[in-house]
Amino acid sequence: MSAVVDTHAHGHGHDDHHGGYGGIMRWITTTNHKDIGTMYLWFSFIMFMVGGVMALVIRAELFSPGLQIVDPDFFNQMTTMHGLIMVFGAIMPAFVGFANWLIPMQIGAPDMAFARMNNWSFWILPFAGALLIISFFTPGGAPGVGWTLYAPLTVQMGVGMDLTIFAVHLLGMSSIMGSINIVTTILNLRAPGMTLMRMPLFCWTWLITGYLLIAVMPVLAGAVTMTLTDRHFGTSFFNAAGGGDPVLYQHIFWFFGHPEVYIIALPAFGVVSQVIPAFSRKPLFGYASMVYATSAIAILSFIVWAHHMYTVGMPVTGQLFFMYATTLIAVPTGVKVFNWVATMWKGSLTFETPMLFACGFLFLFTLGGFTGLVLSLVPIDIQLHDTYYVVAHFHYVMVAGALFAAFAGVYFWLPKWTGKMYDEKLGQIHFWLTMIFFNVTFFVQHFAGLAGMPRRIPDYPLMFETWNKISSIGAFGFGLSQLLFLYVVLKCIRSGAKAPEKPWEGADSLEWTHLPTPVPYHTFDPQPDLR
Amino acid sequence: MALSRNAKTGLILASIAAAWFFGLIIKYWVMGR
Repeated sequence: MSAVVDTHAHGHGHDDHHGGYGGIMRWITTTNHKDIGTMYLWFSFIMFMVGGVMALVIRAELFSPGLQIVDPDFFNQMTTMHGLIMVFGAIMPAFVGFANWLIPMQIGAPDMAFARMNNWSFWILPFAGALLIISFFTPGGAPGVGWTLYAPLTVQMGVGMDLTIFAVHLLGMSSIMGSINIVTTILNLRAPGMTLMRMPLFCWTWLITGYLLIAVMPVLAGAVTMTLTDRHFGTSFFNAAGGGDPVLYQHIFWFFGHPEVYIIALPAFGVVSQVIPAFSRKPLFGYASMVYATSAIAILSFIVWAHHMYTVGMPVTGQLFFMYATTLIAVPTGVKVFNWVATMWKGSLTFETPMLFACGFLFLFTLGGFTGLVLSLVPIDIQLHDTYYVVAHFHYVMVAGALFAAFAGVYFWLPKWTGKMYDEKLGQIHFWLTMIFFNVTFFVQHFAGLAGMPRRIPDYPLMFETWNKISSIGAFGFGLSQLLFLYVVLKCIRSGAKAPEKPWEGADSLEWTHLPTPVPYHTFDPQPDLR
Repeated sequence: MALSRNAKTGLILASIAAAWFFGLIIKYWVMGR
């Protein structure tokens, strides 16, 4: 992904010039959206590996009942850091990387609106990631409170909690700056004739995601700031010992947390909405309804947060409101799934690796959506709350939803980014290994959860052993399969065959129709006239 | 100094974010629950 054409050394025109620096300084000082997109994508892959190793520690411990490998405190630290790193360090930066690479090219802009701030948004991330990792080496270790950082546990943790709070602040700053940049770019820098309703759906999903991020990241930042003042400055927002209310933290956290699910899912929808039409050789079915459905999902995401906390003891009317509001989300989501299927209907379909991952997404994300509907129902959720059914549900949304879409996107745009083709056969093997091991890992967790296995425990009764053994075997297979992905990408960059100008004949957005393959370092200056 | 269109859009969005952050803390700090 770092092989953007760079003919600087050969004295070509200014379009290929990347400024005065070479080597590492190029990457530290770059303000080019393609460079920054590449860094986001590599950072997210490194974090995906770090979070993945933590997942394997969890699954190794759960392979058998009893305590074998790690002590319970460390197990809790693993579950906490796995969640934080995967959500904030892997999945979110991956889609910001796609946004950086693609939005200027898809709307005909020369770069992002705030190029220097773009550099800053990225370079905050490694420091935030380092703070999370360093917290393991503080007295008491990393926080073992779960990625939701619930009070009152957060008030009682050691200094690792403070590092985590600062890391969340930094991650929030990075996200807010990134989304201000994306929204401003889309609103102000579109090429003449590129109206909002002509934009590729990926840009639409990111425009809406940008607004969501600006609205909810400050809420999380506020919640962890209040936790910090509870810990060190004598306040009692969430500390019951001083008259505070731990449930208030849950309300504030999930007011951020549920839109966060869509912050992750909407850009994934955008990627899939580019890939499926390209391999169906048809325009996206119901473009306008896709835009409205995306907006509806975003708006509804603000009024469903308490479905994560049915068991805290809220009034029945409250439970009913949040249950009905949550089930309502199935309507716009159903519109999107229908439109993707209708796009494929009677299309001239081929199943290269990006399309395989998009179809995998469609099938498994819909399954995750259905289990979400199950969990939205109060009487069932009260039984299943904090069980492995919930773990299975959100991994179908986060992994089969977001990660599969990210893989589809990488395979789809890799030829455009690098000018080289990936190994199609290895890509397809990567898909099938990922698909099979994903289901081996997570499908069985539904049964463990239905049988009553609680989440976030290092030990469990013998009755859950079979499901856990299968899940752990699947997890190691899934983890190893991702090394193949790394190999395919590196092989493509180092020795891939030259990509044709337009490897996917059905692709019709500007980066495919108006730019050469691979794309030059600087593009769209002056902007194209699309009127 | 006249602000560019980008700067105006960016400042509006940044002030929305700041309003959420400070508004939340002030609500629970000053006004209580």
